Amino acid sequence: MQGGSTGIVYGGLKYQARCIADVKADANNTSFLAGTLSLKEENEVHLIRLSPSAAELVCEGLFYHPGEIWDLASCPFDSRLFSAVFASGETNGAVIWKIPELYGQSNSHLWNNFILWWPIGKHDKVISIDEQNLFLWSLDCSRKIAEVQSQESVGVLHHLSGGAWDPHDRNTVAAFCDSSLQCWDLRTMKKTNSIELVHVRDADYNPNKQHIVATAEDETGIHLWDLRMPNFPFSELPGHAHWTWAIRHNPQYDQLILSGTDSTVNLWLTSSNNSDDSTSESQSDSPTQKMDPLLNSYTDYENSLNNSAKKNGRYAWSSREPSMFASLSYDGRVVVESVKSYLPRK
Amino acid sequence: MDEKAKRTRELLASFYSTEASTAGRAVPVSPSRVATLDSINSPSFDPDVYMNLLHVEMAAEIKNLDTDLQMLVYEITTNSSNNIVGMEANMEQLLEKIISVQSKSDGVDTSLFAKREKIEKLHRTRNFLRKIQFIYDLPGRLQKCIESEAYADAVRFFIGAKPIFEAYGGSSFQECKISSEETMKLVIENLKGKLYSDTEPIEARAEAVVLLKQLNFPVEDLKNKMLDKLEDFLLDFHKESKRMDHQCLPDNIPDSERRLIELAQDLFTKRYETIQQRITEQLSSEALMLALRDIWSDVSLMDQVLPEAALPVISLEASRGVIKKYITGAFSALLRYVSEALTGPQTSPKGTEEQRTLQTALESSKKAVIQGSMDCLLDFRHLLDDTFELVTKMRDLIVDWVQEGFQDFFKALNRHFLMLCGKIDIIKNRVNAAEGFRAEKVQTGLVLVLAQLSIFIEQSAIPRITEEIAASFSGGGLRSYEYGPAFVPGEICRLFRSASSSFLQIYITMRTQKISTLLKKRFMAPNWIKHKEPREVHMFVDLLLQELHGVGAEVRQLLPSGLTQRHHRTESTGSTNSSRSNPLREDKISRSNTQRARSQLLESHLAKLFEQKMEIFTKIEHTEESIVSTIVKLSLKSIQELVQLQTLNRSGYQQIQLDIEFLKNPLKEIVHDEAVIDFLLKEVTNAAHERCLDPILWRRRSSTSSSRQSWSRTRSRIPGK
Repeated sequence: MQGGSTGIVYGGLKYQARCIADVKADANNTSFLAGTLSLKEENEVHLIRLSPSAAELVCEGLFYHPGEIWDLASCPFDSRLFSAVFASGETNGAVIWKIPELYGQSNSHLWNNFILWWPIGKHDKVISIDEQNLFLWSLDCSRKIAEVQSQESVGVLHHLSGGAWDPHDRNTVAAFCDSSLQCWDLRTMKKTNSIELVHVRDADYNPNKQHIVATAEDETGIHLWDLRMPNFPFSELPGHAHWTWAIRHNPQYDQLILSGTDSTVNLWLTSSNNSDDSTSESQSDSPTQKMDPLLNSYTDYENSLNNSAKKNGRYAWSSREPSMFASLSYDGRVVVESVKSYLPRK
Repeated sequence: MDEKAKRTRELLASFYSTEASTAGRAVPVSPSRVATLDSINSPSFDPDVYMNLLHVEMAAEIKNLDTDLQMLVYEITTNSSNNIVGMEANMEQLLEKIISVQSKSDGVDTSLFAKREKIEKLHRTRNFLRKIQFIYDLPGRLQKCIESEAYADAVRFFIGAKPIFEAYGGSSFQECKISSEETMKLVIENLKGKLYSDTEPIEARAEAVVLLKQLNFPVEDLKNKMLDKLEDFLLDFHKESKRMDHQCLPDNIPDSERRLIELAQDLFTKRYETIQQRITEQLSSEALMLALRDIWSDVSLMDQVLPEAALPVISLEASRGVIKKYITGAFSALLRYVSEALTGPQTSPKGTEEQRTLQTALESSKKAVIQGSMDCLLDFRHLLDDTFELVTKMRDLIVDWVQEGFQDFFKALNRHFLMLCGKIDIIKNRVNAAEGFRAEKVQTGLVLVLAQLSIFIEQSAIPRITEEIAASFSGGGLRSYEYGPAFVPGEICRLFRSASSSFLQIYITMRTQKISTLLKKRFMAPNWIKHKEPREVHMFVDLLLQELHGVGAEVRQLLPSGLTQRHHRTESTGSTNSSRSNPLREDKISRSNTQRARSQLLESHLAKLFEQKMEIFTKIEHTEESIVSTIVKLSLKSIQELVQLQTLNRSGYQQIQLDIEFLKNPLKEIVHDEAVIDFLLKEVTNAAHERCLDPILWRRRSSTSSSRQSWSRTRSRIPGK
């Protein structure tokens, strides 16, 4: 079955778009934020909500945003807060916004690439990552200011391109660059662990199992790692025809992994157990291990209008409804899909 | 040089000069920024802002210089190959000199020849005189040996002198001969006495036999006598123990008999152990059978006198073990043989030599697989054909072992191949993985060889072996009633089929990874918003093309070009009603109709685009065309994605446009599927257009002339093209 049959389409974004985020703190609705990427027009952030009947996607809010939006993240404890990484000409920075009014500009560093929120629950810290630095910000919502609490330069040789905050340990953050994935301890601001890996595009902690990280790479596909054994991955998935842009564990069913490239989003089922050595050893001998891990591939939609209409591998699981995810095409179409039929039986 | 000077001037100008030269640069920066850079001379000069801007600009410049540097390093490496050509001429001169030196030395050699001859003659005479002296001294010497019981020395001396006695014993040395022989007779008598005396230690007796044998004494008689004696001894012993048995209580087994049984069993176990040891030295099956028969006949003899030892049972058990070990040993030797054929000649891959080694590696490993397996089978057939009763009892077992052996052998071979690629079954070989995971760089050529070898095993080797097994190792097995035959060719074929395609995938990944690194350096490093007006095609184009030519050259050695398949594929791409994607698309069309009303024209236009997209990454086939085009497509796709991450100014856009324009023709020479290349290149320029702040097309005429210029430059740069 091709994707799209269950997909609910939102065509409200006028321009190309690269980022979509799940609004975690909104407990009553399944909603997402999407931001546009247009060099010349005024860019927008859309707050998109799934109607209660789950039949259509409604635009709940539309906010103009200065500069192109390269990344969006929603605050996990306040649905009105979100962060955006923007670029406008040569300047480049990150902002934390409060809906509906401007909340406050957190910084305006050059080449600020990434903002991370503590993934679960309330935490007054935010991490921002630029090419060579890691910043830990202390956020004061009432006074509308954010201050740099600590900072660490990782050196000129590494060009950090993103990161993930360990949901099991709020003192650990994983940042990745072209040649490795590095774990940093936020208390000491020291590197604690590193995995040698080429061309990492994205990384994601398993929200339900500690030490497990999935990485997406340009050429070599997807690898699953146990951070206690950084020398070799415990599992690998073939990935996509071209670069694998993004990877996300399902917030509830941690065996389900979504990965995306420019024309498809793939849904994978990983082997259920891996953190324990002995069990994985015995599993590998059983014939069921040879099962195809690919559950479904959600490909292009035919009514995209031009060549550049394609998924850019950006998508977000809904944390409220873990069987739903929203994906975003480069031409700005948002599609919400359900993976209910693929859920493993608990 | 000229260009460099220009560039330096330009750089200086960009920092210090006023309006006039900046206009000459024609870098379209935002007006506010130009104003601030110029403000150094104006009253509103703000040093902080100015320094900031300068810093940013310098950073951009540094990045540009960095990329240029990398490209220059590449240029230097290409130049050094020219130096090597120069070296060749020098080497030829050297060779001439060496030849002349050699001819001179030959002259010296001939002039000294006569003298050397004389010296040699004198030397021979001296040796002869020494020998004569020895003969005359011999009788006395032998006598001395007897006195000191040094029989070994005596025998050695006598044998040394024997040829001379045979030649001249009738004449000059008669006296010597007679007296020596007298003495030797005494020696033989003494030795015999030693042999028969039970008091002598066994080593001394063995030594005596050896010495007697050296003296051509008929040892066989002695042996028979000895054996008779031993048998008498055993029989006596047996009778005696029987008698004792009757005398003792029935349940109390006499100690002596138990010990005898133990001794006999021990003896045969030891003999089987010796055979097992010999197996590791690659014994042939005939030799093995001979040895087993030998023991078996002894076992039967012993069994007649000592049935209580149950020797035949032990012996059957032991021979089973021996034969099984023999078969597994043969398979592991085969595995070693194949892997040596694969990796052996891979040590010096460079230039034209590589071409030879890749092919020879493939050919020799193909031969190793098929020939090795056939030899093994032939060898095992000898086992089965043997009429020896022990083996006939084990026929079914042997059939099973051979089948199992092949099954395990091919599985092990497959694992070995994966390990050679550094792509190990990660979980299973965790311990090995820790050591070798990325310890060494895998050679791309080897991966290709493995891909082809896997295909060969699947398509040729397995069917032949299956045939052979069916002919001589079929039926029988006890196992086959319950589980079916142990050798499952279908399973092995599947294993190698999937292995060969994953090897191709690994090859492509390795190659694209390298290209990706190149492209990333090119597109991520420079500041595209401050790009200078394009002067020429960027160096990365040359590098990319050279990489692709390298891939082509490597793949061509081993894989068929596969142009027929390509033709077939382009046809299917062209037809809008491909049977594969048809139902799918109809489904989509009908759905889209319900969703939105779009004109029929748009639909078909779109469908075409859609299908073309679907065809970009086709299944990888074992052909040169398929592999090279996949790598090209992946590279172009990477360029597109990288461009989409940048924001360009007009010059940056034009630079990309120029580079792409220039790539077009060479790429079409490499990949014959023009439609796809056109499509992907257009995607790149479209992406650049979208990401450009001020997209104005590069003038066509200057672009073509410039690209032609660079084309000729590249032609001269890439050797062999």
